[in-house]
Amino acid sequence: MRIEFKMEGGLAHFPGLARPVCIDSEQLSQEELVELENLVEKVRFFELPSRSAPPTKGAADYYTYTVTVKAGGRRHTVRLTDPMEDANLQRLITVLRTRAKALHSP
Amino acid sequence: MTGEANHRFIPIRCILPPHILRSIAEKGRPEQRTKALQTLATDGTFRALRAGMPTKGQAVRRRFGALAAEGEKQRTIFDAHSTQTLPGDVVRIEGSQPTGDLAVNEAYDGLGITYDLFWEVYDRNSIDDEGMALNATVHFGQEYDNAFWNGERMVFGDGDGDLFNRFTIAQDVIAHELTHGVTADEVDLTYFFQPGAMNESISDVFGSLAKQRVLDQTAAKADWLIGAGLFTVNVKGVALRSMKAPGTAYDDPVLGKDPQPAHMKDFVRTYEDNGGVHINSGIPNRAFYLSAIELGGYAWEKAGRIWYDTLRDSRLRPNSGFRRFGRLTVSNAGRLYGVGSAEQQAIRNGWDQVGIVIP
Repeated sequence: MRIEFKMEGGLAHFPGLARPVCIDSEQLSQEELVELENLVEKVRFFELPSRSAPPTKGAADYYTYTVTVKAGGRRHTVRLTDPMEDANLQRLITVLRTRAKALHSP
Repeated sequence: MTGEANHRFIPIRCILPPHILRSIAEKGRPEQRTKALQTLATDGTFRALRAGMPTKGQAVRRRFGALAAEGEKQRTIFDAHSTQTLPGDVVRIEGSQPTGDLAVNEAYDGLGITYDLFWEVYDRNSIDDEGMALNATVHFGQEYDNAFWNGERMVFGDGDGDLFNRFTIAQDVIAHELTHGVTADEVDLTYFFQPGAMNESISDVFGSLAKQRVLDQTAAKADWLIGAGLFTVNVKGVALRSMKAPGTAYDDPVLGKDPQPAHMKDFVRTYEDNGGVHINSGIPNRAFYLSAIELGGYAWEKAGRIWYDTLRDSRLRPNSGFRRFGRLTVSNAGRLYGVGSAEQQAIRNGWDQVGIVIP
């Protein structure tokens, strides 16, 4: 499995944090890989619409995430904005954000 | 199904007047406090719903506005308990004593100073000028590095503790979020490209003014930083943005370098960040700063008044960019202080110095 993750927006634009990252299953521990695979399955990632519902009118400073998952010969990209209602989707993004931040750190 | 099954009877809501509920909310046992707070908050929510109904007609708006007492804040702080479920549990309501939770108290106080700026200086009664309840949720998500306005409420994360502190730590950030509500109510500047950057700049302007006013700072004394205190000691930077010197707020190995331009010649063309809304806002931010410095004294008095009147100007449209906003500020300065006045010239000079020439 391979995941591409990009985070934009928020209260400020930080060029360092907005850099896209690539998370390859080979870089992950067995435990991390199992959690990510489970979350991808639980949120039915490959069936998600390519864009989540647009933010409420007037909303501002929300994060937008672009996530591409390649696994088992399939590939799908979704664009999501905070806040998200699905707890598993929230967890997936939290895991990816944490991983991305670690990759951004020198 | 019986009628009884369709109704949840909540005695505490039916019997007790608000002042008793407030007393229980402060002095009762934990379960009593929770019920009393929820009841009081529900009452406020209904009032907010009435005041916030999507009515466009001015006459109808005024009718609802008559229900709200002018100048009376109505703050409710909710706790999401590190989940991303909104709104969370009510933990502090208007008039109740501080809790032991710093984020709760900072949100409460921050909403208060912002309300006071709009009410006491610009005669605006809350977000919608109709006394709308101010609702904020703290402790949103786990190690959540952000604060945002979701169209109805302000939401604050705790930060990861590594790069960011809690997002309620900066009063100007709280005021920034509340101002997004004000802008949405007045003109709803499209959150993309220049109108979006103008939207962001307006939030920075009134965010900074709320902070300057509570600190009793003149334009010359103010730091003109947005979000000072948000970064931990691990970050090489002082704040999220600098209105005085856009592009200089941080330069850090992880966050990167502050990307804000200070002049139109450096305008950033991008699709990132909703078309650079937090990037190019540096240009109108600096125009405001320069005008306020030239005007002298307290920035919220003249420059702030001109910006506020422009935000309410019917000639401002959802697709307005920097030039149109700038032209309207010069027009409003002329209306308020006289055509050809020193005030009008100061506003024109501010825009001129960031590369926006207004005849």
